[in-house]
Amino acid sequence: MAESGGGRGDGGDKARDEFLSEAQELVDGLGRDLLHLEEGLKRGRLDAELINDIFRAVHTLKGLSGLFGATRMAGLSHELEDVLDDLRLGRIELTSAVLDLLFQAVALYARILASEGGNGVDPAVEVEQLLVALGQFSQRRAGSAAGVVSQYELDPGLLGVLTEYEEHRLRTNIQQGQGLYRIRVRFSLATIDSALDDLKAKARPHGEIITYLPTGTGADIDTIELEILIASRASVEVLRGAITGSDVRIDEVRRRTGSSGPPDLRVSLQPATVAQPIVPPAGEDPSLPPHEAAKVPTQGPPPPGPPSLLPSLPLPGGAGPVLGPPEMSLRSVSQTVRVDIRKLDRLMTVVGELAIVRTAISNLTDLVRRRGIDGRELAIELARLNRTFDRHLSQMQSGILEVRMVPLGQAFDKLARVVRQISREHGKEVNLVVTGAETEIDKLIVEELSDPLMHMIRNAIDHGTEPREERRAVGKPPVGTIALNAFQKGNQVVIEVEDDGRGMDPVVLLEAAVRRGVVTREEAKELAPHEVLALVFRAGFTTKKVATDLSGRGVGLDVAKTNIGKIGGVVDITSEVGIGTKMTITLPITLAIINVLLVEIGARLFAVPLASVKEAIALDESQVRTVDSREVLTVRGASLPICRLARLFGIRGHARERQRAFVVVAEAGTRSLGFVVDELVGQQDIVIKALGKSLKSVRGFAGATELGDQRVALVIDVAALIEEVLLPAETRFLASAAEGARN
Amino acid sequence: MVALVRARERRAVRRAGEAGRRVEYLAFVLAGETYAVQIAHIAEILRPPPITEVPRAPATMLGVTSVRGKLVTVISLRRRLALPEAAVDRRSRILLADLGKGEQLGLLVDEVQQVWRLAPEEMEAASVLGGEQPAHLAGIGRPSGADGTVLILLELRPILESP
Repeated sequence: MAESGGGRGDGGDKARDEFLSEAQELVDGLGRDLLHLEEGLKRGRLDAELINDIFRAVHTLKGLSGLFGATRMAGLSHELEDVLDDLRLGRIELTSAVLDLLFQAVALYARILASEGGNGVDPAVEVEQLLVALGQFSQRRAGSAAGVVSQYELDPGLLGVLTEYEEHRLRTNIQQGQGLYRIRVRFSLATIDSALDDLKAKARPHGEIITYLPTGTGADIDTIELEILIASRASVEVLRGAITGSDVRIDEVRRRTGSSGPPDLRVSLQPATVAQPIVPPAGEDPSLPPHEAAKVPTQGPPPPGPPSLLPSLPLPGGAGPVLGPPEMSLRSVSQTVRVDIRKLDRLMTVVGELAIVRTAISNLTDLVRRRGIDGRELAIELARLNRTFDRHLSQMQSGILEVRMVPLGQAFDKLARVVRQISREHGKEVNLVVTGAETEIDKLIVEELSDPLMHMIRNAIDHGTEPREERRAVGKPPVGTIALNAFQKGNQVVIEVEDDGRGMDPVVLLEAAVRRGVVTREEAKELAPHEVLALVFRAGFTTKKVATDLSGRGVGLDVAKTNIGKIGGVVDITSEVGIGTKMTITLPITLAIINVLLVEIGARLFAVPLASVKEAIALDESQVRTVDSREVLTVRGASLPICRLARLFGIRGHARERQRAFVVVAEAGTRSLGFVVDELVGQQDIVIKALGKSLKSVRGFAGATELGDQRVALVIDVAALIEEVLLPAETRFLASAAEGARN
Repeated sequence: MVALVRARERRAVRRAGEAGRRVEYLAFVLAGETYAVQIAHIAEILRPPPITEVPRAPATMLGVTSVRGKLVTVISLRRRLALPEAAVDRRSRILLADLGKGEQLGLLVDEVQQVWRLAPEEMEAASVLGGEQPAHLAGIGRPSGADGTVLILLELRPILESP
């Protein structure tokens, strides 16, 4: 928080939150644009508009951070702005080294934002390093290639009013061997905006519009003549065919014959004569300094429609300091959700309807007070009101849930950056293929999901994907692929992280697990194949020091699994040696409302999320056996471990012990456990709320809910309890000891 | 003589005004003693709603309750201060403590009394009690004009941070 300064005081916190939220969005967008830029660069195309977008975003960030006294961020933005300005004006070349610095800047922005938001430390040293690296770049400027322009028969007056950027685009186009054309068009002042856009749209497929200016001739009060300079490979005939209209004239700008070494353009081009543009160009950005505020219609980056291919560079060792600590987090600082105003309007309408219900109730109350209504009538009227109220309430509920939904792309975009970084760190070439980024899920879940997904992807690149030569040797494509697929399945969202790497070898896993003390050799023999794979999620599990080419596998996966469990999700894993590994995360669409089974334990109510309840059966004590100090119930010929919740929770002394109890069969992932409860109360939709920080250390509860009569029932965290009960105490001890030793 | 008293009163008022440091404390009873906390840190005083016990929670935590739809953890101030247990009765109240940052916590007390506006000279630092005092003990309040009233002033932050 060393950065915080002004902008405080009354309402300052709110403004600051908005600042963080806006800055976060800009930084996210920046990362996206950089990826697109790199993608284009690999295909040999430098997207000038994208650089403009990036420049603008950084410029806005600079302004914002200045406003809020975030000096570190402002300083970084300032230096970045210089480099980006050089880039867009062609003073320096966009190399992968420059891109590296830009990506580092995005990573640093995220960390600065986190520290501004009160999480994590201010990355002062890293910023300083990056500033130095950026400074070196902005000094290493390419020489100006001005000469070429003067070979053309261009009106010096026109050249005189070109911005530096336009001048650069002009030079670049000429150097690429494009032809230059002059289009004169007469526009009616009334329709100039749309007509100009129309013309630009027609011209764009054929070339790049360098600039447009009013000619100052032949204009009357209602019309204006513009001269448009366009660079194109097409012939003048093609252009004449494409850009039609009664008032359009297209000529080629010819090369001067016998031109010799021209003077430096910038010397000869001092703004002299000619009128300044009086037509404000469409898409002008008022936040830019005046000389920037010209031309080049802005376009957003191409929408990241599925499936998008986000490749990353193969080789490590770019310029500049290596940044990004291994324990970085992808969580956003801001908790803001952008909402389509129409969604809010719909909610507002419902509120209006509810107000009508209230009026009806108060009228009814009056009637009752004046005894102007008999009992039967009253009952009918109340029932009607109740129905209406109920309907509106559920509309309200679904409307609010809808507002909370955001596309998973929010998390995926950040992951694309991580893939780039990790694959460079490890010198492996990896393509990330994303599908279903538009799948919507609760904002809270998206936030909680970013880090676990990052761990899984890191793991897939680190341990799954083989080096290029190894892949070639087994006949796989040299570039590895990591697929990130999301789709909705009923009330759940499924996310798959799939690699085409070497897969996990159960033998190696088991050996490592035994060595690390995660399981005993005896237990190891009992494990089913899928249980062996699940070992990678155990705390303390790693194949480190076992096989050199597998070092560190499993790091972070236990945490990833725990965190996914916290948001009601489960992770399953399948893997085939030589083919690849797939981790499947299944999540509820929303955290807010869940369907639960209410149960009674010692006269207290608890809620079990129905999503993880397989069935509920009466407990037949005669079928309970104790195996290895663990109670097991035989259900339809199969064994089911059971857990008496009253005992686990230390709820004692209740007469119900003699009565018949029930078993709620719950499952998480592939494991099942029967919870013994006193009574099944019923099913209910509840709004789940998190327990306070003070109860964080208490395991086994996902939250609590209010039951309508001001009573609060705790919601059981099925996954956590299954983990707790089924994981024998001694292995947990060993695992945590191993964890301690590793750290 | 009367004039002299008036003058002294005026001076006292002026002094308080100049210092501007009269602090409002809410007094309440725990096991027969009167305690007080800065009222600025108390968002609300509630009659005890039904409290749901949380199994396996630390003993000081009585459980959770819902305050207008918001979950609040309630702690027993008696247990937190290692005082003997007592049953909740009709005079029991829950003070909803809020330091602005972090979580709101409910503090169960025996009875709420009144608000005192204490001037700096009406407060003694905890150090007068000598030796090492627990972090939650802020000092002793002796409101002038209230003969013999002694307030045990509590600092809420340490209590809320490790309930």
